[in-house]
Amino acid sequence: MRRKLETIVSDTKELRSFLKRMIVETLKLEDITAEDIDGDTPLFREGLGLDSIDALELVVAVEKHFDVIIEDENVGKEAFASVNVLAGFIQTEYKGFSKNGMRFAG
Amino acid sequence: MDFTDRTVIVTGGTKGIGKAVALAFAHQGARVAVIYGSDDQGAADMQAELETTASLFLVLKGDIASPSAVDKMIGEVLQEWKRVDVLVNNAGIVRDKMLMFQSMEDWDRVLDVNLKGTYLCSKAVIKQMVANRFGRIINMVSPSGITGRAGQTNYAASKGAVIAFTKSLAREVARIGIGVNCVCPGVIATPMTDKLDPDNLEDLRRMIPMGRVGTPQEVADAVLFLASDRAAYITGQVLVVDGGLI
Repeated sequence: MRRKLETIVSDTKELRSFLKRMIVETLKLEDITAEDIDGDTPLFREGLGLDSIDALELVVAVEKHFDVIIEDENVGKEAFASVNVLAGFIQTEYKGFSKNGMRFAG
Repeated sequence: MDFTDRTVIVTGGTKGIGKAVALAFAHQGARVAVIYGSDDQGAADMQAELETTASLFLVLKGDIASPSAVDKMIGEVLQEWKRVDVLVNNAGIVRDKMLMFQSMEDWDRVLDVNLKGTYLCSKAVIKQMVANRFGRIINMVSPSGITGRAGQTNYAASKGAVIAFTKSLAREVARIGIGVNCVCPGVIATPMTDKLDPDNLEDLRRMIPMGRVGTPQEVADAVLFLASDRAAYITGQVLVVDGGLI
């Protein structure tokens, strides 16, 4: 399981696809599919139209799937700017790749 | 109301209303974790009563105003049962004095236990409730927090703040399937009211339109209702259980 996760995290294209599916499934989006999401489209407001309550569920989903903890709301806002930004954030903070093994805590 | 396979935490759950609430959940099949601060004898008695039910249970000691103690206790519950479905923030203290005689220590301790304790316990369970897309948080408040009461500026402020906390949190998590409500008991027959002067208790009783004090079981019934699926469309509310007092 850990190896599979590391494979996803290290493969940027696969990670971005995973995150798009995660967003659609976690938020039970009905009028949009993972394929419809452009990696650079803002997730919130004028982009995908998500709001701060959606963000709560996404923060928990990221923690569940990648063991990356986001405790600071401002860091969360930056990390969730778009799928591509979120993928980069996870690749930086993912515990398996961290040099000192510390998890991000804001 | 069936709570089989539900995990419930009740703070201040070894006496009075909290004890009645915890036992009511246990009798309805829930796994019940009771948190208490200092009443070891009450905890032992409660443990003996829980053993007579078919329920799985934990009795945990710790200060709910301490972040590390709360994390430890809630962590134990999650380790044991993997989830928390219902949190009843019942623990509370009074240190009644007119404001001009009230010490800062009495102010701080009442706010710490009643308000900060509610915040800490709620925060400790909310993330996994979001992950489960289900949860019920029920905060015990008081008529003092709605109408105010002389000699209770600290207690009333804490309970009024818990009501505002409840309404705000309810709006944050309503869409995710988490209900957050208050139960507001009036004058209830508990060890606390047993200590009242009989004349004072009689005065209080006369003020209650139903002409009697309530029972812990009547409060527990309201808590179980709000925790049940029958209250699925109710959130951010204060359910007053006071015989018509306020």
